[in-house]
Amino acid sequence: MSDTRIESYATALVQIAQAEGVLDRIKDDMYRVARAAESSDQLRSVLNDELIPAERRQTIVESLLEGKGHPLSSHLVGLVIGSGRGRDLAAILDIVAARGASASGMNLAEVRSAVALSADQQTRLAAALSKRTGKTVDLKVVVDPSVVGGIVATVGDIVIDGTVRTNLDQLKSRL
Amino acid sequence: MSLISLFATPDPTQTHSWILPETSEIIYGGISSTIVFALLVKFAFPLAKKALQGRTEKIAKEMSDAAQMRTDADTEAGDIRRAVGDIGNERTRLMAEADVQSEVLLREGRGRITVEVAELEAKAAADLVAAASRIGDELRGEIARLSSTTIDKVVRATLDDKAHQDLVESFINSVGASR
Repeated sequence: MSDTRIESYATALVQIAQAEGVLDRIKDDMYRVARAAESSDQLRSVLNDELIPAERRQTIVESLLEGKGHPLSSHLVGLVIGSGRGRDLAAILDIVAARGASASGMNLAEVRSAVALSADQQTRLAAALSKRTGKTVDLKVVVDPSVVGGIVATVGDIVIDGTVRTNLDQLKSRL
Repeated sequence: MSLISLFATPDPTQTHSWILPETSEIIYGGISSTIVFALLVKFAFPLAKKALQGRTEKIAKEMSDAAQMRTDADTEAGDIRRAVGDIGNERTRLMAEADVQSEVLLREGRGRITVEVAELEAKAAADLVAAASRIGDELRGEIARLSSTTIDKVVRATLDDKAHQDLVESFINSVGASR
């Protein structure tokens, strides 16, 4: 799908959430579903499968939110999937999450770490990123073993990479 | 006396001579011989003369032809000798020309072979250098691959919980410290 079309779908979802006054609440749901869809080929395949009834796929999305998500979240995700745009689900929902954070006066800060971060570490990291970027950040932590060790943080266009994976890649390039 | 009685002689021993014929025989014999001779002179001799003359002319003509043939043969022999001489000269010229051409070809061939040998030597030297470089690159690549694989494994093996936490803390501190 073209970037314009992804943007249009994301804008539509944001406007619906804003109309319902729940954008701040659903942005975390959008982010969680986006990460789940991004990390699982099987999930993407199921969500894109036109032969599976839309209701069944909606149920799968609700199970992803583990019943903790806002009811509108599953409907919005179902809207994207039902439109046959499941392939771009992660991209659309990422934009919704980012705009949700932006609407709250914050910037979405995606942090990928090899290990889970404690609440204290997340607080200090959010503060450090706010200080570094000059923006209030909405921290989203993703445990990603592919980084091997360390952290990579993305705030908008700013990427701060302190992962062992990147250091190993640089070392391999030099070798 | 009848004519028969004249020719008939019952007894030769009763002739007048044992060697000469009778006179009448001489007369009649002479007359008949003269007639025969005259007939021969009149008819046979011209034919014989004509035959002899034709034979003479034929022989003369054959001799003339033979002389002409000999002249022709001499001329042809001269031509052949001249042609043989020409052939010898041509052979000598061709041999000389062939010698020159073979010498030129030999010289050109040697020159060409020398150039080709030099080119082959240069190409072989370049191939050796390229092969050495390629082997060096492959060796360096293999060493790099093995090194990176080893480093990756060693790093992963040494990253325990404490190391992970140290990395996280280090990242938070470095991000917070820099602006």
